[in-house]
Amino acid sequence: MSVGYQSIEVRAELLKLARLLGRAPDELAYLEAVGPAELRALREQVTEALFDSHLGALNRLASASRLLPVAVVAQMGEKVFGALLSARITGLLDPDRAVEVAARLPDGFLADVAVELDPRRASAMIARIPADRIAAVTRELLARGEFVTMGRFVGHLPDASLQAAVEVSGPDDLLQVALVLENKDRLGHLLGLLGPERTDQILEAADRAGLGLEARELLEQAGRDDGSPRPG
Amino acid sequence: MGQGESPRVSQDPLQELRDQLRGDPPDALRTLSEADLRHLTEAIRTARVRQAAALEHAAEQGFSYVPRLLRGPIRRILR
Repeated sequence: MSVGYQSIEVRAELLKLARLLGRAPDELAYLEAVGPAELRALREQVTEALFDSHLGALNRLASASRLLPVAVVAQMGEKVFGALLSARITGLLDPDRAVEVAARLPDGFLADVAVELDPRRASAMIARIPADRIAAVTRELLARGEFVTMGRFVGHLPDASLQAAVEVSGPDDLLQVALVLENKDRLGHLLGLLGPERTDQILEAADRAGLGLEARELLEQAGRDDGSPRPG
Repeated sequence: MGQGESPRVSQDPLQELRDQLRGDPPDALRTLSEADLRHLTEAIRTARVRQAAALEHAAEQGFSYVPRLLRGPIRRILR
């Protein structure tokens, strides 16, 4: 891995960890010397620790929400729980009900939740969100420059959603997302969906941004992927 | 450069981090200074406290949105 590419990965990991801890990334600058794989392992440990420390209370809230109409749950999610707690509880709800709740929430709030959400814990729900809604939330995340957040979700989206997200993204956006992609083993598949023309556009965007070396290193990695569709 | 400001300085900083993570941190973190380890530990502890406060606030404020008829059953689940 080149120094430039590793540095991009480290910055992305520090941003994710800083968000989890509610800190500015600069406050964690002393972790820059730690490799991206170790930072990711640390982030996953912190995620587990925070989640597990209040799992009982989160589970009780999720259970209580089953008694309430979907509209009330959506209203409480946005007005009372906020993005952080909504993200923590999402994975504990029945996926179909969680999608019904999401359908009543504005794109902006769903984007807020996406920033806080651990997609691994809500994969079943994410896979059920209609593709047009994924496209709308993608637009919102792109407008905020939330490439790191988008990179966390790619490995959890079914093809139709991935395609919808790709269609609303420009080559510069896709470059930024690809560089911080969390499940790099899905890159080959993503490139398959994009096709050669858009892949070339991404490489051109990389050259313009002075990231040609890093982008080609990424493509080389993707070449080792079999490009098979996402299971399930 | 150290950024730590831990209220407790008696314990081994790596052990404090282990306690917060409830497991061994990645080996690469052993190279951090004591101050940085304490800063990281404190950041995790603070995040946990903030989450607890958010949960408490949500449980209290949420009731105003719950239909009166359901407040009893929901209170029993949340207990």
